[in-house]
Amino acid sequence: MERIDVMLEPVRAFLIEIGAFLPRLAVALLVLVVGLLIAKAARFALQRGLRAINFHILTQRAGLDNFLQQGGSHIDTIGLLGLLAYWVVMLAALIVAFNGLGLTHVTELLSRVMLFVPKLIVALLVLVFGLYFARFVSNVVITYCSSAGIRDAAALGRLVRYAIMVFVGIIALDQVDIGGTIVRDAFLLLLGGVMLALALAFGLGGRRWAAAQLEHWWPAPNRDKDL
Amino acid sequence: MKNPATLVPTPTPPLEEAESGATTPADDAALWYQDAVIYQLNVKAFLDSNADGVGDLKGVTSKLDYVKELGVNTIWLMPFYPSPLKDDGYDISDYHDVHPQYGTLDDFKEMLSESHKRDLKVITELVINHTSDAHPWFQAARRAPAGSPERDFYVWSDTDTKYAGTRIIFTDTEVSNWTYDPVAKAYYWHRFFSHQPDLNFDNPLVLEAIFTTMRFWLDMGVDGFRLDAIPYLVEREGTNNENLPETHAVIKQLRAALDSSYKNRFLLAEANQWPEDVREYFGDGDECHAAYHFPLMPRMYMAIAQEDRFPLTEIMQQTPEIPASCQWTIFLRNHDELTLEMVTSKERDYMYSTYAADPRARINLGIRRRLAPLMDNDTDRIKLMNSLLLSMRGSPIVYYGDEIGMGDNVFAGDRNGVRTPMQWSPDRNAGFSRADPQRLYLPPIMDAVYGYEALNVEAQQREPASLLNWMRRMLAVRGSSKAFGRGDLLFLKPGNRKILAYLRIYRDEVILCVVNLARSAQPAELDLSAYKGRVPVEMLGRTAFPPVSELPYMMTIAAHGFYWLRLTTDVSVPSWHQEYLPAEDRPVLVLFDSWNSLFRDQVVPWRIGMAVQTRLRFEAEVLPRHIETQRWYSSKGTVIKRAALFDYAMWEQGTFTWMLPLVQLEGPADSVYFIPLALAWEDREEERFRNLSTAAVARVRQQAEVGVMADAFSDERFCRAILAAIGAGRTLRAGAGNIRFTPTNAFAELAGTDLAELPIGRPQAQSSNTIVAVNERLFLKGYRRIGIGVNPEFEVGRFLTEVAHFPNCAPVAGAVEYVGADGLTRTLCLLQGHVSNQGDGWVYALGYLQRYFEQWRASAQAPPADAHGVHVALIETLGRRTAQLHLALATPGADAAFTPEPLTATDAATYRQQAQKEALETFGMLEGALQQLGGQALDEARRVLAAKAQLMALMEAGGTAISGARKTRIHGDFHLAQVLVTRNDFVIVDFEGEPGRTFDERRAKQPPLRDVAGMLRSFTYAAASALRDAAQTPEEEALLAQPAREWLEATRAAFLRGYGREQGQGQGGGAPEQSHGAGSLLPLFELQKAFYELRYELNNRPDWVRIPLAGILGFIAPARSGASPATKGE
Repeated sequence: MERIDVMLEPVRAFLIEIGAFLPRLAVALLVLVVGLLIAKAARFALQRGLRAINFHILTQRAGLDNFLQQGGSHIDTIGLLGLLAYWVVMLAALIVAFNGLGLTHVTELLSRVMLFVPKLIVALLVLVFGLYFARFVSNVVITYCSSAGIRDAAALGRLVRYAIMVFVGIIALDQVDIGGTIVRDAFLLLLGGVMLALALAFGLGGRRWAAAQLEHWWPAPNRDKDL
Repeated sequence: MKNPATLVPTPTPPLEEAESGATTPADDAALWYQDAVIYQLNVKAFLDSNADGVGDLKGVTSKLDYVKELGVNTIWLMPFYPSPLKDDGYDISDYHDVHPQYGTLDDFKEMLSESHKRDLKVITELVINHTSDAHPWFQAARRAPAGSPERDFYVWSDTDTKYAGTRIIFTDTEVSNWTYDPVAKAYYWHRFFSHQPDLNFDNPLVLEAIFTTMRFWLDMGVDGFRLDAIPYLVEREGTNNENLPETHAVIKQLRAALDSSYKNRFLLAEANQWPEDVREYFGDGDECHAAYHFPLMPRMYMAIAQEDRFPLTEIMQQTPEIPASCQWTIFLRNHDELTLEMVTSKERDYMYSTYAADPRARINLGIRRRLAPLMDNDTDRIKLMNSLLLSMRGSPIVYYGDEIGMGDNVFAGDRNGVRTPMQWSPDRNAGFSRADPQRLYLPPIMDAVYGYEALNVEAQQREPASLLNWMRRMLAVRGSSKAFGRGDLLFLKPGNRKILAYLRIYRDEVILCVVNLARSAQPAELDLSAYKGRVPVEMLGRTAFPPVSELPYMMTIAAHGFYWLRLTTDVSVPSWHQEYLPAEDRPVLVLFDSWNSLFRDQVVPWRIGMAVQTRLRFEAEVLPRHIETQRWYSSKGTVIKRAALFDYAMWEQGTFTWMLPLVQLEGPADSVYFIPLALAWEDREEERFRNLSTAAVARVRQQAEVGVMADAFSDERFCRAILAAIGAGRTLRAGAGNIRFTPTNAFAELAGTDLAELPIGRPQAQSSNTIVAVNERLFLKGYRRIGIGVNPEFEVGRFLTEVAHFPNCAPVAGAVEYVGADGLTRTLCLLQGHVSNQGDGWVYALGYLQRYFEQWRASAQAPPADAHGVHVALIETLGRRTAQLHLALATPGADAAFTPEPLTATDAATYRQQAQKEALETFGMLEGALQQLGGQALDEARRVLAAKAQLMALMEAGGTAISGARKTRIHGDFHLAQVLVTRNDFVIVDFEGEPGRTFDERRAKQPPLRDVAGMLRSFTYAAASALRDAAQTPEEEALLAQPAREWLEATRAAFLRGYGREQGQGQGGGAPEQSHGAGSLLPLFELQKAFYELRYELNNRPDWVRIPLAGILGFIAPARSGASPATKGE
């Protein structure tokens, strides 16, 4: 009998353990279910809200939707934002659930993932507004240049657009901490190269013109005329 | 006849009384001289009835009909008093008798009463400045002792130096105004010939004697006097003895004497003076009623010679205003020389060199020639001068013979060259006299150009295009408006100085006269902006011109041409007119994202508010203002509160995007309109921008770019895109429905293979749609007001094209339809094959009738019996085509909508009840409108109301025999304007049915006789409208009513004949009974149609009610039963 008791002790302990664990599991599952509902609601509300304020028009004009579609995605930017919002909520629910179960490592891992999602959202918004801005500025440049009679208005517009798009891309990448210094350095190198090229082109090709301009702005009889 | 000597003289009104102003009330009857057109005739030269070589009063009497038919209303007889005839009768030796060679006083009285019978006024000469030296007064005076009253009848002096400052008028014959009389041993005063001593108006007995003379003739019934040489009555030392105040005092007394006892008579002053001096002869309306405008006459000649309006405008500016009851009289030529006293010496030299290169033509200070030789017998210039005469301010005087362009004889001495016998016919002595030619007082003109054998009344009466017939027409037109006689005159100042343009304005009536003084065609730009919106109607042909706008009114006038245009407010703009509004007048719509700017769900988040604002402006301001001014807007005059987008589709083709909106109007009875819109930007697409600007709905700006939003039918690319889409059978997604482009199986054949290259025409706005022609091959009709359901025009047209293969309609190539979310279809556009044509049947009929009336009016003899031969054949063809259409519409086919149904007794009863119900409603309307009607219309309306029971019974009896008759689809709105004339055949168009009914009602099957009734009523309308247009006066209307009636009967008979024959062939001979037999439905339908017309006219054009009233009366009047359709069968 005692042996049986001894034998049953671990079982009892196990059952007690289980008895203590099961409610926590139940709570965790409940949290997950509620989290799922909230996530879906959040996604729905966000998508509806964004569409109501014509956010989809903005993303269309920015060219992002088109980009997504070309990439084979079936959802547009608003869908993507909805998805991200969904996962923020879901991850939060998972963290709460696992926390309740006492799985601290998992919790820590998840919270890192969860904290990354808002950065993604912000990066996406930066892209949307940045690309729209690029298009807008490009249009302004084209309109202005064509009314001013500059021949390569469209090319200039494109140049401006791509330049801004590069900036925006870097800001977005910076936002999500991808690439870090290498992207920044690459950009600085590129910009420096372009500036140097421009300076050389101006200095070598337009020396006389530059001299005349200097003379015009700053007439200095004592200055060396042979310059 | 009372002997004048036994008349109790009415006491002369004292001067104070005469000073108190005019006593004649200025009513219409008294002011007759303001509307007068005076025919000046010389008794001597008009017609010789007793073969003594000199014209006489009996001759004048016999030619009064000619004078009346000419269109004048007053005759002025030159002196016919006893006289030695040294100055053509102006030297009178007895004021109270008729010269024996002209007849007797009884002849004169007869002439007077015959004239009055013809409503012709008669004015005679009152030559009171002087008498003949053979006058008993002068004979007594020269023998009476100096200082005696008898002697004082004339002006005597012992020397010839008195009144030295007085000019001599007849410079060619007289050297002094004084002549020594050996009997009186003194000098007597004469302003004219020495055999014409001047009466002394300082002697009260002279005035008394003159009053007696006036009363003598006024009592006989003479309507007025021409006061000859009136400025010279009184003499005073130290003056030039013209226009003296004492002279005016005498005239005032004459006027007071006239007004005190006589009504509606008048005095015409002959005062060859400058306008400011002549003005005095009107006094304050208490001297003469009228006076000659002498200076105007030579300036008309000068203006045309110099090809410059300045002489005319200048003299009219110098002409002072005259009292309201007074009137100028104007003339081109008269029995005297063309006097050049009232021009400067330089101008006189110019006139001499231009018009009297031959010195023999000059006499005194003038030119002794008639109008035609002065104008080198150039008909255009003669007509131009006459048009000036008839349209300038004043009552015109036409000198006898000038209406046929008579010539003159400069060898005849003095001014006799313009006093030759009237040329009546090519007979002996020009038909003027049966005397031996050598007995004539003067030989008639006999040369090759102006000779009586070539130029005479008889020939010109026969020739429709003669000057005489032209004058008659002009006088009739002039008589149609009081503005010519009474209106103010206002000169316009077009930049081209060769153009003389002036307005004659009388109350609401404005007449624009434009004259080209030059010998070559001239353009004119007239500033008529004060009359913006008025429609000029040319008065001779009654053709409507494009309306006046803010912009200068452009005209081109042929060499020596002229126009009289009435600026009307009630005539509609010609149907072909295109209104090109400058885009500057359009509102500006600020866009920020092209079409998207109008839709709140199409813009970026921060622009939503702006989009809502833009949309509001677009719907509540831009669109309503545009629609309200469009011809196709059906509720004209109703303000549109808002034009809301009911549904729309955006249509992208390459770089172009159009918006195709269906617009729901708020304000007028809810109606949906189709208004496709295009955008064009000025910098990017210049040509397209320019084209679209003319149809601009709004100007648009987007940032730095400007452009227009315009009706897309003006956009060639849009029309091309529609054609391509119809060909391809495309479907376009709209917000809630679809826009469907459907081709028929005739599309490929009609469109051909080179559709993309065909030139696209400019859109033409119609009353309910817009039409774009594609190179005379296709014809795109854009409906504007869109009804629910398939448009019958598409349905019927498609049936006739695809199933019945009816050749005499415009084949249908396709359509554009909107299919709503509710499944209901609306037809937006129809594509048809182009039918090249010579205008519609209505235009053809009116043109035909106008030419026919013209012929009838101009030619003396009645036209031949078969005058309408060609026309009748054409109308028979129309009848046949109509029958063929009805047979085609009854083609059995799969389509239930077109399967004929038998006409049952119940149907007939329904038609009768419907007709009776409408008739009762019309009777009610007519009773209510009675007080607005007047004259004959009122009389006829009363007769229609009185015949109410009879008409109802007639309708009850009609439409009973219906054996074998069928109900089919019919045209529904069949009248002359719905058939196009092409190469002596007809094409039937516009199957839309009766507007004002719903599409479902229009699609109901009906007896084809409804169409027949519609066409028959249309004939009646054509006849009546043509009559209205052609007849200037009630007399003309009465004259032309007969040919109009004959035309109508011939046309009706021909149409029914053609229709019956074809129906008979198509249905084995059963149909003629159906159309003509007793108890036929035709009279019922025709009566119903007439009642419909009456309702329409009562509501819209009360002036026209007489046409349907006459139509209704025709059914009850036994006199017209010959023309009534019921007995018209062959």
